[in-house]
Order: sequence, then C-alpha cells, then structure tokens
Amino acid sequence: MRALTLHLKVLIFLLVALGISITAYQIFILGIPVTEDETDDLWNIDAKVEFQASPREPVKLQMYVPPLNQEFVSLNESFISNNYGVSVNRVDGNRRVTWSARRASGNQTLYYRLVLTKRYSGEQTKATGPIFRDSIPVEGAEKIAAEALLSPIRQHSADVETFISEAIKRVNNPNDDNVKLLLGGDTSIPNKARVIELLLSIAHVPMERVHTIRLNADQPQTPELWLRSFNGDKWLFFNPGTGEQGLPNDRLVWWTGDEPLVSLEGGRNPQVTFTLNNSEMNAIRLAKLTDENTEAGFLEYSLYGLPLQTQQTYQIMIMIPIGVLVILILRNLGGLQTLGTFTPVLIALAFRETQIGFGIILFTLITALGLSLRSYLEHLKLQMLPRLSVVLTFVVVLIAVISLLSHKLGLERGLSVSLFPMVILTMTIERLSITWEERGGSHAFKVAVGTLIAASLAFMLMNIRELTYFIFTFPAVLLIMVGFMLAMGRYRGYRLTELFRFKAFLKD
Amino acid sequence: MFGLIKTWKALEAKGIMGINRRNADYVLKYNKRNLYPIVDDKIITKQRAIEAGIHVPEMYGIIETEKDIEKLKDIVKDHTDFVVKPAQGAGGDGILVIADRFEGRYKTVSGKIMSHDEIEHQISNILTGLYSLGGHRDRALIEYRVTPDPIFKSISYEGVPDIRIIVLMGYPIMAMLRLPTRQSGGKANLHQGAIGVGVDLATGITLRGTWLNNKITKHPDTTNAVDGVQLPNWDGFMKLAAGCYELCGLGYIGVDMVLDQDKGPLILELNARPGLNIQIANDCGLTHRAHAVENRLAELKEKGIQETPEERVKFSQELFGHVPPHA
Repeated sequence: MRALTLHLKVLIFLLVALGISITAYQIFILGIPVTEDETDDLWNIDAKVEFQASPREPVKLQMYVPPLNQEFVSLNESFISNNYGVSVNRVDGNRRVTWSARRASGNQTLYYRLVLTKRYSGEQTKATGPIFRDSIPVEGAEKIAAEALLSPIRQHSADVETFISEAIKRVNNPNDDNVKLLLGGDTSIPNKARVIELLLSIAHVPMERVHTIRLNADQPQTPELWLRSFNGDKWLFFNPGTGEQGLPNDRLVWWTGDEPLVSLEGGRNPQVTFTLNNSEMNAIRLAKLTDENTEAGFLEYSLYGLPLQTQQTYQIMIMIPIGVLVILILRNLGGLQTLGTFTPVLIALAFRETQIGFGIILFTLITALGLSLRSYLEHLKLQMLPRLSVVLTFVVVLIAVISLLSHKLGLERGLSVSLFPMVILTMTIERLSITWEERGGSHAFKVAVGTLIAASLAFMLMNIRELTYFIFTFPAVLLIMVGFMLAMGRYRGYRLTELFRFKAFLKD
Repeated sequence: MFGLIKTWKALEAKGIMGINRRNADYVLKYNKRNLYPIVDDKIITKQRAIEAGIHVPEMYGIIETEKDIEKLKDIVKDHTDFVVKPAQGAGGDGILVIADRFEGRYKTVSGKIMSHDEIEHQISNILTGLYSLGGHRDRALIEYRVTPDPIFKSISYEGVPDIRIIVLMGYPIMAMLRLPTRQSGGKANLHQGAIGVGVDLATGITLRGTWLNNKITKHPDTTNAVDGVQLPNWDGFMKLAAGCYELCGLGYIGVDMVLDQDKGPLILELNARPGLNIQIANDCGLTHRAHAVENRLAELKEKGIQETPEERVKFSQELFGHVPPHA
C-alpha cells in the first residue's frame, strides 16, 4: 500500500511538473499570449523614395532595407513601384533592394513597406565580427593631435568597451584643442563618427557605422547613426553624439557600413522619407500570421494546426474535463448527490444549445411531464425496453410541440431545442422515476436539484471564454488537472454533507 | 466555516469513517473487483454458503428465462409461503413476500391479494433487469420465507428485522440490528426509514439506535425501548459473520443475517459497500476499530499465524465488546 502511495505521488508530481513546464515553455519561451484579448504592437514602416529621372537613360536605384535577422519578425514586406523591376540581394549582412527600369522620366516615386512585430522572434544567430583592424594612415598635425588624445584615453580605460566610450566622450568635448583640430570646425555627427573611427583605428579597435530607425510614430524619422564594435563576444553599440552605450529597444537596424542609404544611377536628387505608424493586433492572430511568415511553426503542433471546423469541436471537447472536475469536486468533496456520475456534464453540454435559463426551464418541464407519463406507464406493467421506448418517443414529441409552440409565439429560442439530447432526457426521466420509487419523492427531488446545480455550475465554467481559450491554447493544463484527479482518487477526508450527517455524534 | 472545521476535527477524533475513507482505505483495498459477483448475485452467495456449510434460507428454485416462468407453479406447489427475489437486486427492491394462499390466489405479507399472472409479471420484470444494479438481465430466486423470532415483536413493525455485522478481514468490528418501521414499509433499509440499533459485540445486548441520522431510544411505532434487549444465540451470529470472509474472500463486507423462529441465524446476503449509519447506531466510529484489526493482522502476519473464525470472534468481543450502558 505504501509503495502504491509513493508510486501515485511520483506520478502526480510528474504530471503536474510536465503540465506546468510545457505551459511555462509556451508562455515564456514561445511568448504565446495568456489571454485572447492580449494585443501586440505592429509596426508599419513606409519608406518613400523620390527622385528625378534623367530622360533617355536607364534608371537603377539601390536602397538598403532591414536585414531582418534581429529581434523583429517581419510579417509582410512589399515593394511598390510602377514599371520597375525589383530584386533583393544580401551584401555583407545587409539587404539591398534594386529597382531598375529601361526608361523613365520626370518625378519618380517608389515605396517600400515593411510590417513587423517584436513578439515571436526566432532565435538570434551568433554574432561575429572583426576584432582587429589596420590603422588609418594619418600625417602631420593631425597625427600629433590624435596621439595626444589617445594617451589619456588609454589611461582612463580598462577594456574595449571603456576605451570606446572614453574616446567618444573626448571627441564630444568642444573645448579640447586637439579635438577642434581633428574636427576642423564641423561638429556634425557623421564627422564626429569619422574622428572617433580615426582614434580607434590607431588603437587597432575596429568600429562599424550602424544606421537605425527609431520606432516612433509621433514624429518623422530619419536614419540615426550609431557606432558598434565587436568585443569578441557580442556587438557593443554606442551613440557617437553622447557616448551612451547600448541600443535602445525601439531602434531597428536598417543597414550597417559606410555607404549611403540610397545610390542612384540615371537620375538625381534621391530623397527618402520614412513614415511609421503602429497598430495593435490581437496577439493570437498575430501568432498565426507569424507562423505563416516564418519557419518557426510553433503553433504547428498545437490545436491551432487543425482545420477551423475541427478546432471549434475541440474547443467544446477540451472543456469536458473541466465539467468532469466540477462534478468530481461537488460529489467527492461536497457530497452533492447527482443522477448518475456524468449525466450533469451531458446536461451541461446540452445547455450550450439552449442557454442556461431556458435550458433549466426546458429540462424541468420535460422531465416533469416525462415523469408523469412514466408513473402512468407504471400502471400498465410494461417491460423495461418497451417502456423506455415509449418515454423516448414522448420526449421527442414533447420537444417538437415545444418548438412549434415557441415558434408560433415568436420565441426563436425554442427552436434551438432540436438538438437537446433526447436520450439524456429519457435516461434522466427513467433514473429519476426509479429513484422516486426506491427512495421516495423527497430524495428524488434532492437528486434532481443536485443534478441541475452541478450541470449549471459545469456549464458556467465550461462557457468562460477566457478559460476555453487558455485550455485550448495550453492543453498541457489538462495534465495538471489529471494530477489533481489522481490525488482526489485517494482523498479520504470527510465530504461536506457528512459533517452534517454525523452531527448526531457531537450532541452529547 | 470555522464551525465546520471544528466539526471535522471532532469527527476525526471520534474515528468516524466517511465515504471517501471507506472507499479508499477499505472497499478498494480489501475487496477485489473480481470477487464482487459473489456478493452481488444472491444465488451465487447462497450456493457458496451451502458449500461452506453456512446456514442460509432454503432455496426452492431459480427462474432464468421467460420460458422458465412456467415452472413457477411446480416450484411453489409444496410451499404455502415463499419469497421471490431478484438475484442482483439492490436495496430490497423487487422482493415479493408471499405469506399465504387464498382461493387459488396469493396473499402477500402486507395482506394484498395477487393473482398468479401478477406474480409472473413481477418475475418477468425481474428478468428484464428492472431491479438489478445497472439494468442487466437478471435471475429470479424463490426461497424460504423467514419467520422472525418473536423476540422482535415488541420493537419492530411488520417485515423482518435483520442483523448487520461489519466484518473486516474476518474480524467482526461492529454490529447493528435493523428494525422495519411503518415509514420504511416493512423494509429493513436505513435510508428507507428503518431503525438501526447498535449491538454489543460481546453480549448481544442492544444499545441505543439511529433513525434518519438521529439518535433514538424508542421504536417510533411501538414506543418500546430498543435498548437493553438480549438477542438470542448471539455467538452464533458472530461466528456466522466471521466465517463469511472465507466464504467470499472479500475483506470488508456487511453481513446481513436474520433470526428465524425455527432455523436460528441465517445469512441473507453480503454487501461489499456497507453503509456508514451503523456508526450512529453504535455511537462509535469505525476507523479506530478498523485500525485495531489492521494492527492485529500485521502482528499475526509477522508471526505467520492465521486465526480461525472462533479466535477472531473472541478477539473482537474482547476488544470491542462490553460497551458501558448509557446513563
């Protein structure tokens, strides 16, 4: 017996642990939303390219687009252009779109649109980058100024990271004469970046320019320049204007390198404007979309992988264990008496068709009429099977009459009854009438009310939309429930009603 | 809420057994499922008992099919009174007690006159499974009608009082006398309104009783005191009950017996899920007694001893008997 108890405990522990870890994996690692109403930011980025095409000349415009290997997932990407051929290719970790046309004239407008979201991003690829570079050759006064700057930087830094931030800080000091010389009066960010690169290159620290777009819908965006350096393990990002380290979460890397965003042949005046807007989207729909657009496929083996029709059936089926759990608790912990074991669950399912209030009225009405017929049949001394057949037929006729009447009265609700399971009603009537004869009317009444209470409770729980969503999305919760049911299987405490039943003991 | 916890604690301290504990610790543990048919089918119980030499009411015949119903006349021709029972009936339903013949008709114990056809119809109902557990096809059993010992006249209303003894692994642990009332319609089932009266295991003297979950001391119909009555042949009952373990192999059973005027103690049926009201009748919980028996069993197992029914009765009587009378 003790071995069995241990066995059971281990089994319960395993089931609960498995259920919790699968659910936790789904929630925290895959990021599947916990409620159906959860929404996610969806970013819509439009890049509009305008230029003047030269007449009688082939046009070729190249523009960088985001490489999409970051913590963002692209849901949709489109290149909108008239009469232009489009091709996309990858160059050095960047992606570049090429629009080309044999002939075009006048003002040209091309669009690039990207829809992306942050959730459900796949695994990050391992970052690699150079950790050594050659010095940029520099001569004369500039060389001396650079070396004068470098020696305090070396003193104040411990590693690559602090070295770079110290260098940026120095370059941003407007009172330093060496810096003034190197900048040559131009304090724009790109020029500062050039000087920083120079300083770093003398120390053989590699550095790369990163052009980012800020995900902010309130103001028009232009690419913002950041610097990054690889420290052998990961990329370190720096703001060349402030020395701030680390790329904020709302920055999307558009391209890296020294080249400009757009290069144009056969035209002039290329201008790019970015328009951003964000919308919210139901998170689980987003998940399905992401699934279609990426290789991730984390919903593939969930119940969402089923055809829609089947999904609806399963949304009902997967709630049945909840109903059963309700009955289990009411009976074994509460001591409620019900007709049969799972009849209340079946009645609860029937309530789905009729809605609860109407369902209870209907159930009571048909059962009461059926009981009176059954008591009349009792006088005829019929055998069981013929008697049951008569009751069933009577129930069918009764339901038909109720439907007809309610339809004539304009109550469309009555029609929903047609699928109210008649066999369940017939068996309920039969069982109830046997209980009535064996145990008396009051007991039968008690049992009938208990059944209705259990059925209503089960129905209400089974119809909580959030709960349905949760269990349908995280079916591993059922394992936790099985663990609870197993534990209940060896519960030996009192039932609630027994506390009243045995009260006589405490009267002394 | 707080009151309920207090009640819970108090009941637990008294060792009152609840349904969940009875099922988990006793019924599921000691009663093997494959042995249930022995107690669920009264015909098999009876045959086993006869083989083991245990006294049961004499069986007159069995009706198994609709065609067999014709044989009813043959079976009962030598007997003026008899009982028709469904073999797998529950709760005393479908039992027909014929006390006498009257002008070619039959007279039931409550005085109702029945024709032969009506009895045949009742048997047909039994065969279709109307009264059986789960509605399976059933067999009808025709047997000797028990005449209760006159000792019960003053404390019983119609029907046949019976004695229920709970037996754990062959050790009687609690006993109760069940007395029919007007409300129970002559049936000895507690949930139908019969009275349960506790019985001292050692002496066979009745204690106070329970009626509809309350404690009582008088029979509601006859107003005679139910306590202090000496049941005759008590050791016979105890031995009969203890022997039922060998008979059916089930470790936790309720043994229902009657005291016949002529034949003495007879076994009526065995129950694999005996009710818990016996605790109220005895004003004592089952759990402590069951634990005492389980300890004894563990002790004996270590020594490799198996006790005979007589030894087991002696053990139970010494440990659980001689309940001090209530003031």
